[in-house]
Amino acid sequence: MSWSKSTLGGLAVAGALLSWNGVAAADEPAAPGTILSPQQTQVAALKTEHKGGTMRLVARSAQGTIDPHINYTLQYWQFYQSVYDGLVTFKHAGGADGFTVVPDLAEAIPAPQNDGKTYVFKLRKGIKFWDGRDVTVKDVVASFQRIFKVSSPTSGTFYAGIVGADKCLQDPATCTLDGGVVADEAAGTVTINLTAPDPELFYKLSVPHAVILPADTPTSDLGTVPAVGTGAYMIESFDPNKQMKMVRNPYFKEWSADAQPDGYPDVVLYDFGLTDEAEVTAVQNGEADWMFDQPPTDRLGELGTKYKDQVFINTLTAWWYAPMNVNIAPFNNVKARQAVAYAIDRKALVNLFGGPALAAPVCQVLPPGFPGHVDYCPFTKNPGAEWSAPDLEKAKQLVKESGTAGQKVTVIVEDTAISKSIGVYLQSVLKDIGYDASVKPLSPNIQFTYIQNTNNNVQMSVSQWYQDYPAASDFLYILFGCDSFHPGSDSSINIAGFCDKAIDAKMKQALALAVTDQAGADKLWTEIDKEVTDAAPAAALFTPKHIDFISKRLGNFIFNAQYYWVITQSWVQ
Amino acid sequence: MMRPPRRPRDMTDSTAPMGGLASGEQGRPARRSRGPWATAFLKLWHDRAAMAALGVVLLVVLACMLAPVYAGRVAHTDPFRSNLDGQFERNGEMVPVMETSTEGLGLGFTPIGPTWDFQAFFLGADNQGRDVMARLLYGGRNSLWIAGVATVICLLFATLIGLAGGYFGGPTDWVLTRLLDVLWAFPVYLLAISLSIVLIAKGIDIGPISITADSLWLPILIIGIVYVPYVARPIRGQVLSLRQSEFVLAAIGLGVPGWRILIRDILPNVTTTLIVFVPLLMALNMLTESALSFLSIGVQPPDASWGTIIQDGQALLYTRPIVALAPGVAIVITVLALNILGDGVRDALDPRAKLRLRSA
Amino acid sequence: MLGTVVHRVSQMLFVMFGISVLVFLIFFATPGSDPAARIAGRNASQETLAAVRADFGLDRPLPVQYVLMMKRLFVTRDLTSFVNRGWKVVPAVIDVAPVTLSLVTGAAVLWVIGGVVIGLLAAATKGSWLDRGLMILGLIGVSMPVYWLGEVMNLLTQSRFHDSWVFSWVPPLGYKPLSEDPGGWFLTLVIPWITLAVLYMGLYGRVLRASLVEAGQEDYIRTARSKGLSETRILIYHAFRTSLITVVTLFGLDFGALVGGAALLTEVVFGLQGIGKLTYDALLNLDLPVIMATVIYASFFVVLANAVVDLLYAFLDPRVRAR
Repeated sequence: MSWSKSTLGGLAVAGALLSWNGVAAADEPAAPGTILSPQQTQVAALKTEHKGGTMRLVARSAQGTIDPHINYTLQYWQFYQSVYDGLVTFKHAGGADGFTVVPDLAEAIPAPQNDGKTYVFKLRKGIKFWDGRDVTVKDVVASFQRIFKVSSPTSGTFYAGIVGADKCLQDPATCTLDGGVVADEAAGTVTINLTAPDPELFYKLSVPHAVILPADTPTSDLGTVPAVGTGAYMIESFDPNKQMKMVRNPYFKEWSADAQPDGYPDVVLYDFGLTDEAEVTAVQNGEADWMFDQPPTDRLGELGTKYKDQVFINTLTAWWYAPMNVNIAPFNNVKARQAVAYAIDRKALVNLFGGPALAAPVCQVLPPGFPGHVDYCPFTKNPGAEWSAPDLEKAKQLVKESGTAGQKVTVIVEDTAISKSIGVYLQSVLKDIGYDASVKPLSPNIQFTYIQNTNNNVQMSVSQWYQDYPAASDFLYILFGCDSFHPGSDSSINIAGFCDKAIDAKMKQALALAVTDQAGADKLWTEIDKEVTDAAPAAALFTPKHIDFISKRLGNFIFNAQYYWVITQSWVQ
Repeated sequence: MMRPPRRPRDMTDSTAPMGGLASGEQGRPARRSRGPWATAFLKLWHDRAAMAALGVVLLVVLACMLAPVYAGRVAHTDPFRSNLDGQFERNGEMVPVMETSTEGLGLGFTPIGPTWDFQAFFLGADNQGRDVMARLLYGGRNSLWIAGVATVICLLFATLIGLAGGYFGGPTDWVLTRLLDVLWAFPVYLLAISLSIVLIAKGIDIGPISITADSLWLPILIIGIVYVPYVARPIRGQVLSLRQSEFVLAAIGLGVPGWRILIRDILPNVTTTLIVFVPLLMALNMLTESALSFLSIGVQPPDASWGTIIQDGQALLYTRPIVALAPGVAIVITVLALNILGDGVRDALDPRAKLRLRSA
Repeated sequence: MLGTVVHRVSQMLFVMFGISVLVFLIFFATPGSDPAARIAGRNASQETLAAVRADFGLDRPLPVQYVLMMKRLFVTRDLTSFVNRGWKVVPAVIDVAPVTLSLVTGAAVLWVIGGVVIGLLAAATKGSWLDRGLMILGLIGVSMPVYWLGEVMNLLTQSRFHDSWVFSWVPPLGYKPLSEDPGGWFLTLVIPWITLAVLYMGLYGRVLRASLVEAGQEDYIRTARSKGLSETRILIYHAFRTSLITVVTLFGLDFGALVGGAALLTEVVFGLQGIGKLTYDALLNLDLPVIMATVIYASFFVVLANAVVDLLYAFLDPRVRAR
């Protein structure tokens, strides 16, 4: 996902992929009379001491529809955690632990049946929506149908494996998912049937596109009207030009501290409209408790010194990269692409982003910490495992050999301070190695679709990708697979247009292998990573870290690997 | 700016002292006048403030023209090449141009501040490590050129429209005022954004003029046209009242053709307005150019103009404010000088001014 | 009289219609403007794209789309944004209009008073150091980009000197409605008023001074002087009135444009959610419904202001009335 509308990111742990089999049991709240563990006692004490108050968050702007089945941005997925629930969800814990899938509306993670094609979820009893109604199996079925009826962006990618999904994709309005999602009212269970085993199923069921809404929720984009949910908080009002207000769900009773913990603040106000400079000042002055946007680079100095106790930096599995169009000149020549990869001084780019504390250079596709990642960097002065310095001589030589020297190249970047400075730098580098280069910034909202559409003949651009969940396929297959390349469409996430039949076949082989042998699949992905990196359809730039700047009064900052800061688990008093 | 009509230029007033050669006595037959232009020029020559201002303008233009000399010989820098890991010599040792912070959490990447040394980074570096002073001089060329041509275009069209509309009235005036309304109400930024995206892929060819994405004609035309209503309307207002003055009515009565009246009688009376607007328009144009750079239209990176340098400086406002301040100061100096010069020119061209100097 | 009004109104409608058509055409001529992919969401499948396109009527011919959009804008008033789905544009515009109105009216009061004072003082003391000094200050004001000045104001009032007694009264950025909190409304707007007015004060002062100096050379002023009237009286009662024409013309143009949203960079810098900010965001996102609404709103005020100024001409200069 691109940053401005990115979804998830986080540290991946190899074991997390197998977690659906051996997931830790969720901590249930204690029934009266039981003896609490020391940890539970501590949490309860904290909750009483710090409960209450109004938390104020600021962001530059809203990010589209409030409909949880459609919105695909990190900004909203971050607070959906406290508002909506799915059958399962990611644990509301810090660090890599936040990557564990725990049962939410379901009582437990079901074991696979029928060779991994059938899962039976038993629905918890007594959970109410914030309008007072009980959650029933009917709501679950309706919610899954709704994913297709509203044409959710992931209906064709994440949920196409459910039986009956193909009919739903063809004719969304009449979607029934017959045979795919089956409810048994008497037993209180919902059975999901797949067409083929899917090791990533539980991740897909944990994202907000699969949350459970009341059956009578309108089957069209809700726009600015919040959907009714089951979470600890409810959205009281939403004006995309001004503010969103979250208050406590009056019908909420905590059923799992891991899946949907009760929160500290009574009210959360999320204001839209300040520039990023103004946001930093607001947090410094205590007028806001946290800012969504990353601070501008000229404030980093003071944040890192005067306000260093209020700054948290966390690693992300994401990358900034420069896709090069492999189908038009000059980058249809592999030597030209490799030349660019050799010439880029990634240390300079890291500095432009804010310094080595905030980013690290990379040469390959898979980010560090990913399953299948093995350090590999061919495009540097001393090729080996890590990047050390750019090799301009080699780059110039490659350009000469490719015969593309002197050609015009335009780099399209986002019109934000960092992207623009990266673009200006790249233009300078391209000129150094022999191209007639120019850079063109475009508004971020437009740039992302503009660079995907082959009709615009974009030669080179700068983009970012944040993972959806920790699977190597999310980087290699989605970004460089033939299936992601749609010429002439605004939605063709394989921006480079890279389609190598051999590599593609290997990727499909790895996907199939993952069902039975994850380790073997990881080894295959390592090889694929090497091959794609060598072909250089994109120049890898760096992996970013995430800065959170909070106010003095905010306490208990927890960074979840999946959804970043866990908003309602921090207190303001 | 209302004034009674000035009498046509070629009538001399024998009671007024001539040129700079004062005879001191009224009524004595005076020498032959040097003619209005020579008179004006001499008056200007003796106006010290105006001459100083002219000197400043010439100095600014000269400095900007010599930008390549400064960059090449004096500062030894390429102001269009990113210099993120560059180093330069300060007090005998090599110092990096861009410094990463080492205190606290080690966040931030700051360019050096002003060294006040012409040989290297007189005003410091910008966020790509480039010499700000060199970029300022190169930028002046683009800014002065864009603002200058745009001002000329604006005044030309504004005068034409204002004169025609105010004088001829009727359907001509109606059409022209509607045109002005549309121009002023038009979302120019939308057009500019759209054009700039269209131009990425291919240029537009209008006859001999070829406009590509980095062509300066795009901002020039946009800026020139944007302010046409701003000047045309006051001119039109002036012409409307001049139209009713006796000497114009007399000329009409005499059967003088309309265009002749416009050129010989009405136009000279609006020149003062135009002269006052020149420096104001230069300033407004340079600022509009800066606002267009905000939307990445006009001068494309890595080329510079005072507007784009101000833009770049916005991102450094909290650490290196001089990057945004320097071009602003340059704009102020240029506009101020033009303003004083304009006042001097206006005074020089006005035959009455001499009268007042005598009688005051 | 009624005939003129009707005539004028029909002219206004004509202008607004023309502009709306132009905006529509420009939008669709821009590559990358097709909103379907941006509406559908990241990495949406091709079927989803097609469904969204049909849903929004983006596959119909342009004239049909234009008529539909105009209908939804004016008749049913339920036109929704392309970016923030479901967000009704017309109520949004009406909602934010008071913000811009507050900002612009306050700034206008400041710059008119400031500009007049500067112009009068400078003309009265023509050639003196006060005159020079005022002109220099005025020109500095004209030469500063408004967004730069705004950011510097923020830097000083919100960040660097926020704790000192000079600026501790400055409230956090953002707008407070007049009806809810008049004191807060005033305090929030003081710095933005000054920022916006600085540019125009210098401009108007300069223009007024030039007009007054010109007027000072008129025959009828000489007559008044020789009659023994004081300089001040001459300046204020006689010269001033006729010098007003240019100033009034400019004011009409500026005020009309600003009310329509031309102060967009000021609003963005100070976090004031007005028409300008709405326009700015819509431009960056190529959000056609909002662009349409704001453009029509803006052109209405521009044309209205021009009409008012034209009427004022006759009032200010008797010679025009004679026509």
